[in-house]
Amino acid sequence: MKQLTEITTPFSEVAKTVSLPGAGLDWLTQLRQQALGLFERQGLPAKKVEDWKYTSLWQLSREGFTHDAKASTLQASEVADAAVLEDAYRVVIVDGRFNAELSNIEGLESGLTIKPMAEAWDQAEKLLGQQIDLDKPGLNALNTMLMQDGAYIHVAADNSITKTIELLVISTADNDRLASHLRHLVHLETGAKATLVENYVSVGETQGFTNVVTEVNLADNASLNHFKLQHESLGHYHIATLASKQAEGSQWHTNNISLGSKLARNDIHSQLLGEQSHVTLDGLYLVTGDQHVDNHTRIDHAVPNTTSDEVYKGVLDGKSHAVFNGKVFVHQDAQKTDSSQSNKNLLLSRSSEIDTKPELEIYADDVKCAHGSTVGQIDQQQLFFLRARGLDETAARSLLTYAFAVDVLQRIKSEPIRQGLSNVIEKRLPKGA
Amino acid sequence: MLEIKNLHASVGGKEILRGINMTVNPGEVHAIMGPNGAGKSTLSNVLAGRDGYEVTQGEIIYKGENLMELEPEERAQRGVFLAFQYPVEIPGVSNIYLLKAALNAVRKYNGQDEVDAIDFLNLVRERMKLVKMDEQFLHRNVNEGFSGGEKKRNEILQMAVLEPALAILDETDSGLDIDALRTVAEGVNALRAEDRSIVMITHYQRLLDHIVPDFVHVLSEGKIVKSGDKELAKELEKSGYSWVHDAPEGQTA
Repeated sequence: MKQLTEITTPFSEVAKTVSLPGAGLDWLTQLRQQALGLFERQGLPAKKVEDWKYTSLWQLSREGFTHDAKASTLQASEVADAAVLEDAYRVVIVDGRFNAELSNIEGLESGLTIKPMAEAWDQAEKLLGQQIDLDKPGLNALNTMLMQDGAYIHVAADNSITKTIELLVISTADNDRLASHLRHLVHLETGAKATLVENYVSVGETQGFTNVVTEVNLADNASLNHFKLQHESLGHYHIATLASKQAEGSQWHTNNISLGSKLARNDIHSQLLGEQSHVTLDGLYLVTGDQHVDNHTRIDHAVPNTTSDEVYKGVLDGKSHAVFNGKVFVHQDAQKTDSSQSNKNLLLSRSSEIDTKPELEIYADDVKCAHGSTVGQIDQQQLFFLRARGLDETAARSLLTYAFAVDVLQRIKSEPIRQGLSNVIEKRLPKGA
Repeated sequence: MLEIKNLHASVGGKEILRGINMTVNPGEVHAIMGPNGAGKSTLSNVLAGRDGYEVTQGEIIYKGENLMELEPEERAQRGVFLAFQYPVEIPGVSNIYLLKAALNAVRKYNGQDEVDAIDFLNLVRERMKLVKMDEQFLHRNVNEGFSGGEKKRNEILQMAVLEPALAILDETDSGLDIDALRTVAEGVNALRAEDRSIVMITHYQRLLDHIVPDFVHVLSEGKIVKSGDKELAKELEKSGYSWVHDAPEGQTA
């Protein structure tokens, strides 16, 4: 398969020469070596690869990123401004490194462990890399060979964590063209419950590269409410994998909001491995100018009696390009699978483009799978109605755009999270309401 | 208040209105009746400023301003209100949000501050009683899942909150059963005022039993072919529209 192997940034050299955290651990060194071997063979995926047909990494391959982060001058007040939640356990990663001073993970509730990944390899060993496919065309190998830090979050059996955990990943203008390779692991033991907000944000204008893999492992009856907000600078690259393994009766609700970056790609993979497990994959993307956003989701219904529910909405303006590919894979024995998926898009300009593709692969015969995708424009009747009620055209368009996007937010049960996310989204609406 | 002079308008190159003349003074209620295809809806859309309606001749003067030069929102901000024949559903926008945004748009034009939250709620609650609407409608999305009658009542609620100087009611009676018609009519009657003019556009006379107009005009083939008082509507009810077709031109008031 054709790959991009001529890459300006010497990722392999960095992996070979730089001493990464955990370098003394044999298993980790071995894992990184394996990833390095794969990356050297494969490089970055080119557009010939089906999963990367609509997203070109050519421009990224031409960029010269650095792996050398200077100490950041980020202030506590800037962190507070960047946070979605005021009241949360705050894990702050600045320019690729955990920052203890700006974090707030003291006095955690019982049963909850939060550590920087660079200090948690031992705890993570058993599960690290187990949720993802290293071979898959994409950046999992690159991430694995260079992963330097991230968050390790563990909840012991039967603990319900009441306070939300906000994982703030901040890129600053102090380190303008930095490549960060982050790995998070969220492990909920039997019956444990938690809420996590991942917040990727730039402070100042950045043209860096965030390469992140979040692994989620949910034991029997565990439940994770999960939000990912990405609003990095428009010169930034953001490539992420979000992968879960779910045991019996577990629930994963994840909401992926993509607003920033020049190029954003999310590969989201839910593996329903235990009966009665459920996943909700919601998403919202708002892009304009020459932004490109690509969401690839895959749900594996591997056993009988599992359910999934997916709603992705997109608003495209300017010359932006969005891709949605939603695969639902129902394995042979996965009878009584109940799955629904929808992708709806609102095009605000003539030159924006959406490629949307639901993909169902079903190998069981007693299942319920619904899917649909739509592409539309602002409704002229609605627009005239609002104008006839005195709203000027800009305000009316903005309101209709918000109205289109809002049901993804209305599905969020937590008021502070919904409010925090709404505030960020409203600022990104075309021309503001 | 409103003066329409020799108004000609086309839709898609086809002339629909062919020289309408009409004067509406403050406090008056005018009914415009006519058969299907007479140009009734074209007239209301031209007055509200909908795209696609081209005025080819004549003028519309509203409070001394040329209405045709104003965008739909500018007309609304100056007190022109159109009650839609087919109210639009807007999923994702709550009724209360719409009412507040609309009211604030008018206030802003008039140089007033945004409405105080508590004053606004009190106003809306009071006006909802006029059209017998339950408060739960405030938090539902605009017209989404409303019955035909509820949609029309919702239009009148918007009128009641916005207190326009000129209200154009486009087939407000269509699709209403008798109880809903009565409720809507009571709402409109409560809003009759010395400084407010109302233009009702309707196909049927029955609305005029409930909202009694000062003047009745018969629109046919893009012209007002007959004008009179409420008795004219009753004649129409008896004889149908065919007799006005046969009436010689120039009988307009």
